[in-house]
This record gives sequence, C-alpha cells and structure tokens, in this order.
Amino acid sequence: MFAVEVAAGINATLGHSLLLIGLVCATFGALATVYGIRTNDNKLLRSTQRYAWGVCAAGVGAFVVMERALIQRDWSMKYVQQVGSADTPFLFNITAIWSALEGSILLWLVVLVGYTVVIAQRFRKRLADPLVAWALVVMFVVCMFFFVLTLGPADAFQRGALGVTSGPGPNPLLQNHILVLFHPPILYLGYVGMTVPFAFAIAALITGRVGERWLSETRRFALFAWGFLTIGIILGGWWSYEVLGWSGVWGWDPVENASLLPWLTGTAYIHSVLVQERRGMLRVWNLTLLVATFALTILGTFLTRSGVIKSVHAFSNGSIGPYLLSFFGLIVVVSLGLIAWRGDRLRSPGSIDSPLSREGAFLANNVVFTVFAFVVLLGTVFPLIVEALQNRTIKVGAPYFERLSIPFGITLLFLMAVAPVLPWRKASAELLRERLFWPAWGGALAIVVPLLIGARGLAPLLAFGLGGFASGAALRQLVLATRRQGWRGLVGRANGGMIVHIGVIVVAVALVASTTYTHSSRLILEAGKPASYGGHTFELIEVQSFTTPRSNGIRAQISIDGGQTYAPAITKFTNFGSNIPTPSVRTGIFNDIYLTLESGAKAGATTLPMKVFIKPLIVWLWIGGALMVFGTLLSAFPGTRRRLPTQPTSAPIPVDNDEPLAEIVDV
Amino acid sequence: MELSINRRTLNKQLKRWPGWLVLAAVVVIALAIASAGSSGPLTDSDRIDSISQRLACPTCDGESVYESQASAARGIRQQIKRFVEQGTPSDDQIIQYIQNQFGTKTLLVPNASGFDALVWALPAFAFVVAVAGLAVAFRRWKLVADTVPTDDDRALVQAALNDQEHEHES
Repeated sequence: MFAVEVAAGINATLGHSLLLIGLVCATFGALATVYGIRTNDNKLLRSTQRYAWGVCAAGVGAFVVMERALIQRDWSMKYVQQVGSADTPFLFNITAIWSALEGSILLWLVVLVGYTVVIAQRFRKRLADPLVAWALVVMFVVCMFFFVLTLGPADAFQRGALGVTSGPGPNPLLQNHILVLFHPPILYLGYVGMTVPFAFAIAALITGRVGERWLSETRRFALFAWGFLTIGIILGGWWSYEVLGWSGVWGWDPVENASLLPWLTGTAYIHSVLVQERRGMLRVWNLTLLVATFALTILGTFLTRSGVIKSVHAFSNGSIGPYLLSFFGLIVVVSLGLIAWRGDRLRSPGSIDSPLSREGAFLANNVVFTVFAFVVLLGTVFPLIVEALQNRTIKVGAPYFERLSIPFGITLLFLMAVAPVLPWRKASAELLRERLFWPAWGGALAIVVPLLIGARGLAPLLAFGLGGFASGAALRQLVLATRRQGWRGLVGRANGGMIVHIGVIVVAVALVASTTYTHSSRLILEAGKPASYGGHTFELIEVQSFTTPRSNGIRAQISIDGGQTYAPAITKFTNFGSNIPTPSVRTGIFNDIYLTLESGAKAGATTLPMKVFIKPLIVWLWIGGALMVFGTLLSAFPGTRRRLPTQPTSAPIPVDNDEPLAEIVDV
Repeated sequence: MELSINRRTLNKQLKRWPGWLVLAAVVVIALAIASAGSSGPLTDSDRIDSISQRLACPTCDGESVYESQASAARGIRQQIKRFVEQGTPSDDQIIQYIQNQFGTKTLLVPNASGFDALVWALPAFAFVVAVAGLAVAFRRWKLVADTVPTDDDRALVQAALNDQEHEHES
C-alpha cells in the first residue's frame, strides 16, 4: 500500500518537474538563439539543437509519465480520477489520456516538441543560418506557451482529492471503437504541424528573406501537415459513422469546424504557393494564409476548449480561455506587424496577365477557399456574437452550413475541371476548346449514367457532371505526363496533385450521393418473419443481453438477405447513465446497409424495433480519402527539377541590398 | 501510320464547335430530365429524418434532433413521427409546431430577418468583396503589363546592369 502511494506521489512530481524542465529548456532555447543571432555567435547557434532535444525529452517524458499514471491507476491524481477507471480495457485506458482537456493539451505538446526536434535535426547543418535560427525561436516560443498551459490552466498533474480509489473512465463514446487510437493523434499531427510553416514564415519576415527559398524549405512540412489533417478529418468522419448511430459522417459541429478551418486556408496556401514559386508573386498573400492557418488552429482550440461554445466534442474548462485568446491576439498582432514592417520587400515584381491562366485559376481557388473559411468561421462564432450583443441564444447548425457549402462545392469542382488544362500566363479559347473536349464528355457521361440508373435532382447530377469533368481533366494530365515520362509522370506536385484531385472528387461525389440518396425506414422485426426494405430482407435471429465489468446491454442478431448476420447493439456503461447505440454496417461497393436498434428493444423478445438506412457510395468516402493521401505522398517527391537560372523565381531577394530589382534583372 | 493520322484529324474535327454543341445539348437535356423527375417517393422515415435534421435538440450541446440520443430528442422524434403518420401537416408546419412548444432554441437555422439576417448576408457580401478585389487586382496588373517602357526606363536599367558588371569585374 505504502509503495503504491510513493509511486503515486512520484507521478505528479515527476510530471510537474518534466514540464518545468521543458519550459526552462524552451525559454533558454529561445533566448540563446536570439542572442546567438544578435551577436553572430555561430558556435552558440549550432548548439541550439540541444535545447530542442531537451524540450522534446521533457514533453515526451511528461506524456509517458501520464500514461504510466493511467496504467498504474494512480488515484492520487486528479486527472486519473477524472478519466481513469479500474475496468477500462488496456487500449482505451491508453487513449484515455486525450479524452479530456488537460491530456489533450499534453498530446498537443508532444506533437509540438516532436516537430521542434525534427526541424532542429533536419536543419542541423544550417542552424547558424538566421532563417533557420529564427524559425527555431518561433518553435521554442510556441513550446513555451504550451508548457505554460500544461503547468497552469491545463495542469494534468494536479493532485486529486484524497481517498478516491475509482473513476468513471473516459466518456463511453471514447471507449468503444479502435479509431479513438488513431483519429486524435493523426489530426494533431496535421493541426500542430501547421506551426512549422508558420515558424518559417515569421523567420522569413524577420530576416527579410521573403524570397522563395524559405518556401521550398517548408513546402514539404506544409504538405505533410496538410496530409495528416486530411487523414485526421476523414478518420473522424469514419469514426462518427461507425459509432454514433445517426449514419452521418460530418455534423458541422463547432469542433469539426475548428479542424476544417485550417484545412481550408491550408488548402488555399498549397495552391497559391505554386504561383509564388513559379512567378514570384503573391508573397503577402501566402504569408497571410500561413499566419491565418496557424492562428485558426489556436482560435479553434480557444472556441472548443474554453467552454464558450457548446458542443458534444468540447471539453469545458474555465481558465484556459483567456490564455488561448491572448495567444491568438499575439499571433495576429505580431504577424500583421511584421508584414506591415516588411511591406516594401514584399511587393513583388511582375503581374498576372489574364484571369484565364493557371495563376488566375489559383487566385479564383483562393477566393473560394478563403470565403468558404470565412463562412464556416462566421457560422461557428455567430451564436457567440449574438449572445454578446443581444443576450439571446441562437443556434447555427448543419442545415445552414450545408446550404452554403453547395455553391462553394460546385465552384471548386468547376475550377478543378478547368484549372489543370490552363497554361501559365494566358490561355486562348481554341486551346480550352481543344483540351477540355474529352474531359467535358467525361462530365456528360457522369450525368447520363446516373440518370439511366435512376438518380434525379438538379444539384446532385450537376455535381456528378462536374466531378466527371474534373476527373477527366485530372486524368488527361496524368495520361499525358505518364506518356512522356513513364512512372515519373505520377510524381511531383502537378501530377501527384492530380491524384489528390481525383481523391477529392471521389469524396465529393460520395458525399453528394450519400446525403441525397440515403433512404431509411423503421422496421419492426418479428422472429422468423423476414421483413423487406429497399430490395433487401432482414430477419431477426435473436436478441441477447450481455454484461461486461463496465457495461451491460443488448445485442440483436439480424440476418441480411438470408446470409451473414449483423449485430447492432445498445450499451449502457455502468458509470454513465445513457444508452449508447452501436450500429452495425454491411459495407458494399454501391450501398451500405446501416442497422441501428431503436428504443424499446428488449433482450429475449421476439419483436425488435430497429432502423435501416440504405446509404449509397459511403465506402468511396474512405477510398477517396486514401487516394488523397496517396497523391499527397507522390506530390511530396520531387518531380522534374526546375532549377534553370532563366526562371525568375529562383532569384532570392538579398537582405542587405538597397536595389533588390537590380538583382533580379541580373539573373 | 495513315490510320493514326486519320484518327488525329478525326479527333481534331470532333473538337470543333459542332462537337461542343452536341455535348451542350446532351448535358442540357440530361439535366432537364434530372430536375424534372424525383428519385422515388420519400418514406415516412425519410421525412422524419429530414425534419429532425432541421431542429436542434433542446437539451443537448449543439446536436440536432436527428443526431441526438437524448430523451428530449427522442420525444421530439416521436412527435414528428405522429405528425408524419397523420399525413396532413407539411414539414414547415411540423417545425413551427415544435418551435411553439420549445421556443427558438430548437431552431437550427437562423432566421433571415433582424440581426440574424447578417449570418446570411455577410457570406454574400464577403464573396462580392473578394471577387471585386480580384477584379481590381487584375485591372492593376493589366495596367502594369500594358505600360510600355520609355527610353529613360531602358537607360536606367542599362545603367544598373553596367554598374553590376563593373562590380563583378572589380
């Protein structure tokens, strides 16, 4: 008994000490790096890697200590009392760490210190380069902020009330599906990863090296973070579908919106950055997008972790809000200040000649993505604005976002169709007529085929048509590239990007089909009498009850089409009152059959109320997501090298040159 | 060889305006059929789903009546079910009835009147501003592109280039 208590004391003390060490390392790292830059002390700058390792060790250590406390069921700790439970299975006990606010900030911290050390390691030979050094300073400062959070308002290592020897365990929804292990960390890899390009953007502003070099340094980081954010969002949809029982993948919940916002601005960035790489233009805009992306991750965390917005996902905690909001304000003020200060260097030479060009299409893409991000943000915070100004409560829910996202989706599909065939600089009508012909017939086919199968409705078929058009354009590019270069025609930003586009189109078509053509019915099954709906038969085999140490409930065995049985269930977790329905899904290439039990289902009964959803093309959401990830990987590989000196964008703008233009002309 | 040339010219022929006109006709007719028809009748359950998706669960944190498993949401779903099975009231009437009962907190879509109309107007406004901004930018770029360098400009650039060369030599 005594030994357990000593171990318990150790966890809290160890956790706090590690966090404190991390804070000290991050602070010293930041100060030493700034001092090194100021005094041109290259030796000092080369040693900053050590601070990064120190920060990393401390952050990871604290996380491990918390896991240890959870595994040991260390009831002396408040957090374990909150999310731990003696009978949570090992896996869900491990994942319990991110099932509440304090632990989720720890997860954030671990990912952040990981990225910090990756930068220090990746650029270890160039730590004396002021650009890299300043980027590290920014990373250290962000680390400092998160260490402060974990020591202050989100202290996971607080000691709990004495005498508590049990806890409720994590929320039931966080302990009944394996995806709880993957969705949060992967989402955080993307969400927190946006810090890296932000850090380099700030470093570029401070050093005045706002030319294109810093972009190529971080393009892969940005792409990496974007890819993980994409996987995280799609896994979230899959999880919701498999667990929540309302058969949907996206509910426009504030927390979901908070993950979508940086994805939208990040997507805008990875497109418009190509204009900067190619033409040296849009510098201010790209910096703004990166700053906005990072700032939105912090704002989103504020909205959903401070309790100001109510959501099923939200963890409410009173005191973290002001910290996050102040940090958000600081980011915005500092970044805008720097952009204003560097305004003269940021003005870019050159001009975009025609809206009907690759650059023009990228700009249109940016307009759509940023306005869409604005709409999502507006809808998310509007209830807060109304409450603050008029002291009324209103809700802005899924139907609002769904209605408004239709025009954006349609426009984006159209752009995806036209943009890939557009040349840089200027396109002519003949060229478009020539290049778009077969893709456009692809679009016509994508309208006619569903029409023949029986799909109706203007908006969905327009979406299918544009989807076919856009995939035609993407395939055209891939076919031409592979004909020229063989398998190399699939790698590189342009070609890998086309595979991402096809993935996006598949997801879009699946979303449209599954939301428009889902049909559902409430059936009352009787044992031995198959009921039919939507061309399928459903037969009740039996309804059993089950008990585990932490829950009890009922499970029905239902045979679909006289074949395999599916087992939807309703579970009641003993520590939480509510009934949690668990759907059972038969996945198919064309249709999913989604079964859930309705209230009134009883064990041993010979009749069973249940609900059947027939949902078309759901599986293509996950296939499209996988394609997006595959394409992202391919576009991270270098394609054809483009380092010709004749290309204007390879000219860096020198820092200490009063005549930057002359340098460009020289090249 | 001859065949491939023939195919190429055929491809070229197809891509002229008549080919596009056929395409446009096919698309317009197909979309007309699509918007005229409906894909099968809605079941009662479909109607209950679509109505409950438009209502907020009065006791939950931001879930709709459709999504929520809370007892209040179940109760409202039952109520909608009774209305739908009666058959007479329209979707809007049912929603109105539920709102009279629970107040505006069950409204999931803000009104398009009063202050709340801003949530509808601002997106349109943002879109107009963004497009206008883009148009202005293109205009400015066009002006820049259209400027023909004067002899003075050329002399200035030449001088700068000469300076650079001298620097390199020295």
